[in-house]
Amino acid sequence: MLTCSDICLDYVEATRVTHALKGVTLEFPPNKLHGIMGPSGSGKSSLLYILCGLKAPTSGNVLIDGKSITQMTDAERASLRSKQFGFVFQQPFLLNYLTALENILVGVSPSNLSTAVTKAESLLENLGLGGMGDKYPSMLSGGERQRVAVARALIGNPDIVFADEPTAALDKENGYKVMKALADWAVDHTVIVVTHDADMLKGADEIHHLMNGYLVDNAQPNVR
Amino acid sequence: MRHPLSPLTYLTRNPSKVLPMGFVIVLCVFLIAAVASIANSIDLTVRTIYRYTEFFTYVIPQRSTQSVPMDQRAVVEMQPEIDRIIEGGVFFVNIKTVVGRLPFVVIGSSPEERDYLLKRIGATLAEGRMPADGKPEVVVSLPILENRGLKLGDVIAGPLDEGGIAGSPVPVKVVGVLKSDIWVAMSSRTFTDKTFLLTPKCLLLTTKVPSDLDVLNERLMPVGRKGDGLLSPEKVNVLTRSSLLAEVRDSLSSMYMIMEVVSATVIFVIALMSGMLSNIYFTQRIPEFGVLAALGVSRTRLMMKIVWETVILTVISWAMGSVLSVFLLKYLASNVFKQRGLFLDAMDPWAYQHTLPIPIAITVFAMVTVWVRLKRLDAVSVIERR
Repeated sequence: MLTCSDICLDYVEATRVTHALKGVTLEFPPNKLHGIMGPSGSGKSSLLYILCGLKAPTSGNVLIDGKSITQMTDAERASLRSKQFGFVFQQPFLLNYLTALENILVGVSPSNLSTAVTKAESLLENLGLGGMGDKYPSMLSGGERQRVAVARALIGNPDIVFADEPTAALDKENGYKVMKALADWAVDHTVIVVTHDADMLKGADEIHHLMNGYLVDNAQPNVR
Repeated sequence: MRHPLSPLTYLTRNPSKVLPMGFVIVLCVFLIAAVASIANSIDLTVRTIYRYTEFFTYVIPQRSTQSVPMDQRAVVEMQPEIDRIIEGGVFFVNIKTVVGRLPFVVIGSSPEERDYLLKRIGATLAEGRMPADGKPEVVVSLPILENRGLKLGDVIAGPLDEGGIAGSPVPVKVVGVLKSDIWVAMSSRTFTDKTFLLTPKCLLLTTKVPSDLDVLNERLMPVGRKGDGLLSPEKVNVLTRSSLLAEVRDSLSSMYMIMEVVSATVIFVIALMSGMLSNIYFTQRIPEFGVLAALGVSRTRLMMKIVWETVILTVISWAMGSVLSVFLLKYLASNVFKQRGLFLDAMDPWAYQHTLPIPIAITVFAMVTVWVRLKRLDAVSVIERR
């Protein structure tokens, strides 16, 4: 299980300090779709990047199955992200010179490539992209690209999928498709979605709200 | 299926990014190979023109006497390797080289000695005849005729010849052409004796076993330690292959040094430029590396990917540059240099050794610059497009 306790994040610019996160403590029980909501600048994306080890908090701790992510080395965090985490970003960030299928396989270790190819084709099929594996990103629509990015996040069978505004650049129809894929994954895995669009979190099991860096679940600021 | 992050995948699918860099490396390899080959061609030219020194050695009296003193001749005669000692007059004809006109020796010999010497170097009469006794005639090997642009029957030396010791008071005609790669020119002894009265008489030495010549030369007058040999440098000089090469290399040492500096500078500039190009390419690929880092691809794996991409690109470009150099230098050698009396080895290993620092330097520069950039890479800023 993923937990974070008393997470603070400060940005220092010259003499000015911005407190982006202020003592956030949360638990993310498995097999659930968790939503993190809040307006722009509330600190929700920063929290997501701290939870997945891409960003270090100013203080506080993040634990995955009891192990502290914040105390891991860069290499250990990279290994964790590669083996246990999956990511969907606001933009698909596909590599233009690779086909859809190859984009899904970028994070797969070379020794697992042959088995991963079959799985990637199956993921494309499940995400409504059957037969598009050999298409380059420039030949796909925005929604198709984002679904390829979802497949890329799921190929390693991750315990936890982190999604940062995965539907922000999509129309409603494509947004729902992407959210459905993530909700399906959350049946037996953990999915954490950051969004400012409440519509997209209709199927979420838990929703946490952030406001000005505070966790405001149940409308109660979690003040340090 | 090849892994998507395989270096070959990137290289084959991004020709517009890869080819300019490859093209620069190809040109640099050609530049260095050409400079080194041309510099080395002077040495090669001397070795080619004076290759006869592999077959016989001259003992030349110092300017105080007209012939080799008897005591010095006695020393030579005592050497067990000696096959024959031929004493005769010589004169010189001009040949064209990259450093201008140089004198080339014409040996005056008896018909029997001439046949012996020609047999030793493996030369046979291809056209015309041998020089008649006492007549102003020579037989020369084909490369000399080509060098001078002459044909059978033309005058090769005469009173109007320009330059130092070359020339003859009477016009000397080419009456025979020898089939041989070794440059050699021969006339009759009676002609040289009666025409070149003030030219010193030299001793021409051959050994029973041709390969013993170097050992004998070193014993008679060691290169660089003239006084340590059996012959007296106050009385005679010994013209050997080793002494000739040492002299040429010594006189060209400054030029070689300049060439080394030019090569090193070019290599440094190329490496620096390619390091900067690597930086530009890296900057263009920051989104790619940022996303891959966020997905869990370790910095070491990213680094290895870039290193292999660079190594493959530089090695292939180096090989292509070398092949291109061989073809272009071969063309230059036969169409430009040979006519000017300069020999160019298009496959000179020494020249290609000088190009090796190019791929090495580029790879090292790319590794260092990219490693520094990777250490500072912030995946979140890439994802958030900051």
